[in-house]
Parts: sequence; C-alpha cells; structure tokens
Amino acid sequence: MRKRALDTVFKLAKQDPRIIFIGSDLGVGTLDSMKRDLPNQFFMEGISEQHLIGFAAGLAKEGFIPYLNTIANFFTRRALEQLILDVALHQLPVKILASGGGMVYAPLGPTHTATDDLAHLLSIPNFNVYAPCDADEMEDLITLDAQSGQPSYFRFGKGGEEIVSSELQLSKKGDFKFIGSNEAPIALVTTGITLQICKSVYESFPLQTNLQIIHLPKLNVRKSQELLETLRNKARVVVIEEHQEYGGLLTQILHLLHFGKYYNCETESISLGNNFIRKYGSQVDHLNFFNITKEKITERLVI
Amino acid sequence: MDLHKSALSEELNEESIGLRQLILEAVASGGRGHIGSALSLIELINTLYASVMRHNPSDPDWSDRDIFILSKGHGCLGLYAVLAKHGYFAPSELETFCKFDSRLGGHPEWNDLPGVEFSTGSLGHGLAVGTGIAKAFKMKGQNQRKVFVLLGDGELGEGSVWESASHASKHNLNNLCLLVDYNHMQSYGDVEEVLPLRNLKSKWESFGFDAIEINGHSIQSIKESVSKLGHSPSPLVVIAHTIKGKGFPPAENSASWHHKASISREEISYLLRGEK
Repeated sequence: MRKRALDTVFKLAKQDPRIIFIGSDLGVGTLDSMKRDLPNQFFMEGISEQHLIGFAAGLAKEGFIPYLNTIANFFTRRALEQLILDVALHQLPVKILASGGGMVYAPLGPTHTATDDLAHLLSIPNFNVYAPCDADEMEDLITLDAQSGQPSYFRFGKGGEEIVSSELQLSKKGDFKFIGSNEAPIALVTTGITLQICKSVYESFPLQTNLQIIHLPKLNVRKSQELLETLRNKARVVVIEEHQEYGGLLTQILHLLHFGKYYNCETESISLGNNFIRKYGSQVDHLNFFNITKEKITERLVI
Repeated sequence: MDLHKSALSEELNEESIGLRQLILEAVASGGRGHIGSALSLIELINTLYASVMRHNPSDPDWSDRDIFILSKGHGCLGLYAVLAKHGYFAPSELETFCKFDSRLGGHPEWNDLPGVEFSTGSLGHGLAVGTGIAKAFKMKGQNQRKVFVLLGDGELGEGSVWESASHASKHNLNNLCLLVDYNHMQSYGDVEEVLPLRNLKSKWESFGFDAIEINGHSIQSIKESVSKLGHSPSPLVVIAHTIKGKGFPPAENSASWHHKASISREEISYLLRGEK
C-alpha cells in the first residue's frame, strides 16, 4: 500500500509541478525514480518531524501541495501541534502519508504502533482522514483528494492486502461503501484493512440478508446524513477498527447516532481497547488477541 | 562593545516613541498584553516595514511582497502598532485589542487582519514556516522575494527552532533572515538563569548561518545588518541585543512586565510626557 501511495504521488507530480514529496529519512532507494526524474519535487530531509510539517505548511502557503511520509506516530504524536496550528488553522493542503497504521509495527512496541492516530487527526477541524482498505483504493483516494485544497491524512496498511475495493458498492452520495442490503438489520461498520476481515465474515455468514458491511475509507462522517439514514435501518451496529476504542471510528458513529437522535440500535465496539499495548509479536497476533478475526466476529454476531 | 549597554542607552526618536504610545494605549484599553516583549522589538519590526521589506499596505496580498513572520507572537502589540502606522488598518482599531470581536488578539491571527501573514503564539513554529516559504520562493524563481522571521531569545529553547536552522542552511536559503530579539529576559527571569544560550553567535554559525550581533534599538545598525542578506549562500541571523520594556522606564529589564495584565494611566504618562 505504501509503495502504491508513493508511486501515485510520483505519477501526480509528473502532471502537476506543485506536487512535491518530502520524506523524513526514509529507507534507501525510496522513490529513486522520482528523485531522478523530478529532482526539484523530491526532498529527503532529516529526522525532524516538527520542522517538516511547518516547512510543508510554508510551501503550501506559496501554492505547493506537499506530501510527507514517515511512520504515522512521528507525525501524529510528535508534530501534532504543527498539524493543528501550521496546517489546519491555516487551511493548507499538506498531505500526510502515514506508514504503519494500527498494529503494523507490532514487533516494535508502543512507540511505533499507531493506535491513536485517528483520534488525534479526527479531533482537528477540517482535516480529511482516510484509511483505505487496499492499494487500489489508496491510489483512488490520493488522486481524488489531490486538488481538494485541504489537509489530508492517509493511513497505510502493511502492504500486500488482498484487493477487495472493486467488490464494494458506493453509496449514492459517496459517503461510504458497502456490501449487502441497506435493509439488513445488522451492520458491521469498519475502515482500513479490517474491511477484509469483515468481508470474510459476510461471505460465510449464515443469513447474509441480515448483514451489511459498511466501509468508510474517509472517516470524517459524524455529520453524514447519508450514513445516518442507512444506520436508521439497523437494530445492531458493530464498529470494528484497528484503533483504540476512544476517538476513532466508534466516536464518529456514536456522535452521528446521538445527534441524529437515533437511539434505538444496539451499538458495540470491537477495537484495540484503551490501554497502551505492551506486547509484541505480529499484527495478526494482536488482531487475534483483540478478537478482530473472522471467527470471533462471526461468533459474536450469531449469539 | 557591550551591545546590551548600547541598547540601554540608545535614544529613541519621535517615531519610536509614537509607536510605543500606540502600544501602551492599546494595553490600557484592552487591559492586558505582553508589554515588555512588544517594546523590545519595535525598532526591529518598524525598520523592516519602513526601509527594508517590499510590501504594499493598500494591497496586503501583493504577489511580489516580502514576508514577515512574528514567531514570538506574544510581541504582537509591536506588530500591530507598526502595521497600523504603515496603513494596514486604522490606528484607532488598536483600542479594540483583545476585545471579544476584535481582529487584534493577544497573538496575531492571519485570516482577519491585513498584514499578518501567519498565526503564531505557541513558540517554535515561525522559523519552520519561514523556511518553507523561502524555499518556495526559490523553487518558483521569485529571487527578489525575501522572508523575515523574528524570534525571541526565550523561544530559542524550543528544539524545533534548531531543526529548522539545520534545514535552512542545508537548502542555502540566503533569502531568509532571522532576527533574534535578544532582550535577555524571559517569563521567569534572566535567560541566562532559565536556560543559558551560551555563545549565541557561534551557535548560529555552527548551524550554517551568517550571524551578526547588533544593538537592536539602533535603526542604522538594523538596516546595515539586514542589508547583508543574500551576500553569501547562507541564511542570515541578526542577533539584536534589545531591552525588554525599552522606552518605558517602569518596564525596562523587568521580567514582571513580561505579561503584566494592567497598566495605569499614570504609568502611561511616563512615556507620553517623554520622561526617562
């Protein structure tokens, strides 16, 4: 997913000289082709995330569209103030390409696992927050967003995810994607790479007509009337996210339901909980531990 | 030469006194403000707007203008007074300082007030943004445009300043001029007590800057130092020794005036009567 995202930026940059790439001490060889072909639009800078966000804001103020890439937390935690003040307060089109969303960096521990990134970014006014489910969707989102003139955050999965986005239907107004009927009484609402797990739940679910999978590649949905109207058909809404329970997708959905005055559905959360995660292993190990698996979700739904 | 002593003894001209008068009246009206900080940087900002920068008050967004960023946003009263004097808005608007519907807040905001290029307040942001703008000018071939960023000495405690310093010299931003308002005092007290800056000139030079130390209340010194910008491939820093509260005896060199919330008419009269 990361490679596709960076290749997409390169592709866009060939067409638009305002688009530039800024890496924060990334791995050797990163976007070498862009460095070679578009040297004036490629920057590899030092380990200095606070500076880089402000630097990008200055470039954006003068008409450029900077895309920055490093590990998610290094932007969303260390440089949060710069994202709020330098970028969002000034409504500048700075784009964050965040490597290692969720538990991708599980072996590296809590400094590197991005379990609160969505909460930080969704708390900032007018900051687009995207969590694509696969590389195709990542490319589409980056391309669609490029000319938005707004700040945006793209959360990367590990890479190599099965391409499933082509199997989704787009809602009429485009606020969400889905599998299954709008009339189904149960919704699994998710974002990012947990869509693949939800899709597998759907495919083996005993009563498919009872289940709808709702995928939110863009998480800023707390005012989405279209999503609210869809959720009004539900008796049960289960929110699944590779993120801490507070501040992420669940918060968006609860906000939408509460202020939409829809109190009649049962709302549940399957997430990474609300503590620092002090175990290692792999991303899959953690998804298993927090019951974000086809088997555990199915079991929960049929009880 | 002891530049701090020179700054202390520097006589202020009528224009400088008039700007201080605007600041004090704004504080009296608003009932608050960082007086000491605003009074130390007046000559620095006014000299830029009067003699150095390319700008147009009747067209604040002029596409060929130079950029000024007040990174130590708490010195905004100084910026407001200078912008008003140069015609960006009516001086009478200073009376609205910090009022509910005012465009003149306790830190400068970019979107309402003409002449304010970037919102500042939390310290350590201005240099990074200025670095990006300076780089953008070079990328666009706007070689005549320059960026000026004014930082406080206490602000130099922010690590982000030194991140940006490294990058500014890496990119050879010789269209970027920093001015350090070196009034030697921060909120708690003497900078040397709170966080010593050591040899500031050498420190900046080691980061790849051309560095000049001056008396920051001497208009001639400010002009001469800033005119060095662009004479080498390096960015320029002007370390301006100033006096906190300069021109207002009760506040001079007094940390307690850093953000003194009230000022009496009697205190204002010190300056209005020209008393020293």
